[in-house]
Amino acid sequence: MFVFLLTDIFFYIIIFSIGLYIFYVRKTKDILETWKHVFKSRTGIISIVVLSFFLLIAILDSIHIKEKIYNEQTESFSYESEIKSVLDIILLPTYKNYEKSYSSPFSSNLYSKETIILENNIERRVYPKLLYKGNHNKYASDNTVNILLTFIISLLKYFFVFLIFYLFFYFRIIFKRKNNIFTPFKLNKVFLMTLSIIVILSIFLYELSLQYYVLGTDKVGVDVLYKSIKSIRTGILIGTLTTIVMLPFAIFLGIFAGYIGGFVDDVIQYIYTTLNSIPSVLLIASAILMLQVYMANNPLNFENIYERADLRLFFLCMILGLTSWTGLCRLLRGESMKLREVEYVQASKTFGLNRFSIIVRHIMPNIMHIVIITIVLDFSALVLAEAVLSYVNIGVDPTTYSWGNMINAARLEMSKEPIVWWSLFSAFTFMFILVLFANLFSDVVRDAFDPRSNKNYE
Amino acid sequence: MSKLLEVKNLYLSIESENENKILKDINFSINSSEILSLIGESGSGKSLTALSIIRLLEKNCRIKKGKIIFNDTDLLSLEEQNMRLIRKNDISMIFQEPMRSLNPVMSIYDQLLEAHEKDSRKKIKRKIIENLISVGIDDASRVIDLFPHQLSGGMKQRVMIAMAIACKPKLLIADEPTTSLDVTIQKQVLDLLLELRNELNMSILFITHDLAVASQISDNIVVMKEGMVVENSESKKFFENPKSLYSKTLLASSSYNRKNNFTNSLKNNSVLKVNNLKVYFKEKKSFIARNQDYKKAVDDISISIDAGATHAIVGESGSGKTTIAKAIMGLTEVTDGDIRILDKDILKMEGKEKLNFRKNYQMIFQDPFSSLNPRMRVGSIIKEGLSFLKPYMNTEETNECLKNVIENVGLEESSLYKYPHQFSGGQRQRIAIARVLVLDPKLLICDEPTSSLDVTVQKQVLDLLNEIQTKNQISYLFISHDINLVASISDTLSVMYQGKIVESGKTSDIINNTSNDYTKKLLSSVPQIL
Repeated sequence: MFVFLLTDIFFYIIIFSIGLYIFYVRKTKDILETWKHVFKSRTGIISIVVLSFFLLIAILDSIHIKEKIYNEQTESFSYESEIKSVLDIILLPTYKNYEKSYSSPFSSNLYSKETIILENNIERRVYPKLLYKGNHNKYASDNTVNILLTFIISLLKYFFVFLIFYLFFYFRIIFKRKNNIFTPFKLNKVFLMTLSIIVILSIFLYELSLQYYVLGTDKVGVDVLYKSIKSIRTGILIGTLTTIVMLPFAIFLGIFAGYIGGFVDDVIQYIYTTLNSIPSVLLIASAILMLQVYMANNPLNFENIYERADLRLFFLCMILGLTSWTGLCRLLRGESMKLREVEYVQASKTFGLNRFSIIVRHIMPNIMHIVIITIVLDFSALVLAEAVLSYVNIGVDPTTYSWGNMINAARLEMSKEPIVWWSLFSAFTFMFILVLFANLFSDVVRDAFDPRSNKNYE
Repeated sequence: MSKLLEVKNLYLSIESENENKILKDINFSINSSEILSLIGESGSGKSLTALSIIRLLEKNCRIKKGKIIFNDTDLLSLEEQNMRLIRKNDISMIFQEPMRSLNPVMSIYDQLLEAHEKDSRKKIKRKIIENLISVGIDDASRVIDLFPHQLSGGMKQRVMIAMAIACKPKLLIADEPTTSLDVTIQKQVLDLLLELRNELNMSILFITHDLAVASQISDNIVVMKEGMVVENSESKKFFENPKSLYSKTLLASSSYNRKNNFTNSLKNNSVLKVNNLKVYFKEKKSFIARNQDYKKAVDDISISIDAGATHAIVGESGSGKTTIAKAIMGLTEVTDGDIRILDKDILKMEGKEKLNFRKNYQMIFQDPFSSLNPRMRVGSIIKEGLSFLKPYMNTEETNECLKNVIENVGLEESSLYKYPHQFSGGQRQRIAIARVLVLDPKLLICDEPTSSLDVTVQKQVLDLLNEIQTKNQISYLFISHDINLVASISDTLSVMYQGKIVESGKTSDIINNTSNDYTKKLLSSVPQIL
């Protein structure tokens, strides 16, 4: 049975609106030309491929399912209380078993010594062997050789996948009577390269995860790699959902303040200067604390912990959105003020257009580039903000997988002797990759959309 | 006379995908204490030529070939530090926009300080004051403490000139120094340049698009077109007998003559009647002041235009011409007075009645680059007025209308599906005309419709407006700063100065024998081709 969590629904809406935007862009020639600039640049293509991969993981992780189980005692079907996502089902072989506690990447033993009793009642302090992974090399007993062989096998698997796709395209081409074997290779080389690297890496990591804990395990023995992958959804959700919350405020209030001016402008300006002068951490902390009180008082409103955690995540997005619209609002106010005096707006006034039509027809299309630039730029800042907030315990629920929570846990792990570094390392690496490519992408988008750097819009 | 500057076979290209050459084989020379005018339309490469002399080109410009010899040294082969010395001592430049060339956060004194040699404070101050007096700023000791925004455009340009001549250069490059100034101030600046030439014995490379200005000031003329020198001759010879075809069309376009003359067939049939119009803007009231101060942008003005006639309003910037247009179009609030169009008081109309009536009077704006929404196709730009002011038209009728009107203004039907940035300035202005023409107005307000266009294009647009007038019997209210142009196209004329009409009447009467001092001054300031 499909389960729709609150954030899932909003995430679908976001995906749907991205789809709508793509559809709209394909029909609008000048915006299409601008986006083509993004696709022409190498950085643009690479970052789009990487980001789409992250997005794909987030989407797979947002389709939630409850499994049907047969209860033998009552002889009836019922649903499991646990909610799984499609991603969980795909990754199931790699994470289904838990170890006892910490173990370092690729090791075959736990990280700390334990007392075990041998057959002849002799007690010994040893590093116990891991139960499920680390001691189950598939291809060779030596670890290095085994990893190498795994890599070669994942390469072979990749070529197999590639061949299938190639043949698929090839037959489609034959079917259309454009008989050229090399047509599939005429696709953009950068695109193909990036995609290949990602696919090879994921196959390789998957194969490795069946045999090792690639990034070790955490305090309760969960695979850290799995945790980091699950955190992708949280990061992306916070980056996008917050934007959706803040956009209406920023766009409408910004345009009203700038275009209508006068009293309306004064009121809106007062609101955002006031909001801006309250430290946003304070607002977020109080909102989250209020929510916690509500959840503690009304435990019956929630079917399970997933819903509780989900509500908290949703609430965090809301409050982040409510505190972050002021910057964009101010930008849009300035731009609308400028546009108000531009002659094409004056000309349409002489045609007797009302305010609403002028805003929709003339102001909105001409401020959209600012909106797009800001959305893309803000995304990475919000992913980082989540980490910071979770670190000070006012972010997402502790049961939610998130990089912030991993970093928060790492605070204690870092003070252990010997040091447990891999949680922090993997959270850092994943966040770094996402934020880096988001930033690269935003750079390209800004270059393409900024009228000052693009001659089309002079 | 010895040659001060010689440009030999200069080729320049801008690095891009299709390395096209922007300047091709430029040759000319300037003797000492001579004024040479570079004439050409926008995009002809005048400014690039000047910038390559002083070597301030953008990074993506590459000089491919050629020599620029200044005082027997080739500027192009000089080290950057030696070139800096030349810029400091021998060659100066003034730019078109005095507002943008001065740093707004520095006082005039501080800016001029940069241009002068290091010396003791007192001496420098004295030098700067002398410097300012030499460019005709009499109260120099007061001006040096002011900031750029406190000065008028003409004063700013004088300060720029003062900066440029502070080092007593041998060559002054002036890139359209008077284009953004009013005619009366333009005359002062031109006189100043001539005076300085004689005083300091310097040569001037004067870049302009205005033939009349060039004829006033220059000894030699170089005409450029599309990066090539079309003609290079003495000023007198050039204006008497231009050799190349392009120069001939340039000369022909610079003096415009209307073909048809207004025949007063429909008497006493006034389309627009403005009576005692007043537009006051509230000024910021100070905390303790009791009375509200007003800026009288338009003060007690009356105009009347007959059907099919052209009435022109001429005046300097800030005289309130555009405010009248805006008041009529309802873009600004009217303080007092009434405006009657086709005998109906439009100020008293409201709601639907006004919306229905709006199609009778429309406006063309000055800048065709900002009057068309860059994100709309030409078709929908033109359609906008129709869909709001003639909502009863169905799709077929609308499309038919669009086709007709776009052909009427001399553009192809395929233009309807293009975006404004795919057109040149003149074509854009045609689109702007089509946009209002489609509504079939009785009165058209043209707010400097040609002042941002090149002369040859200007002529085409004026021809088009003329043709439309004869065909559709539209009345024009033509607003311009150019009394020369207005003289040739209007039937009646009002001269405005500081919100008031100082003189009004038949154009020919005013131009030929005016009694008003201001009009006289305006007429005498206008540069004429000698």
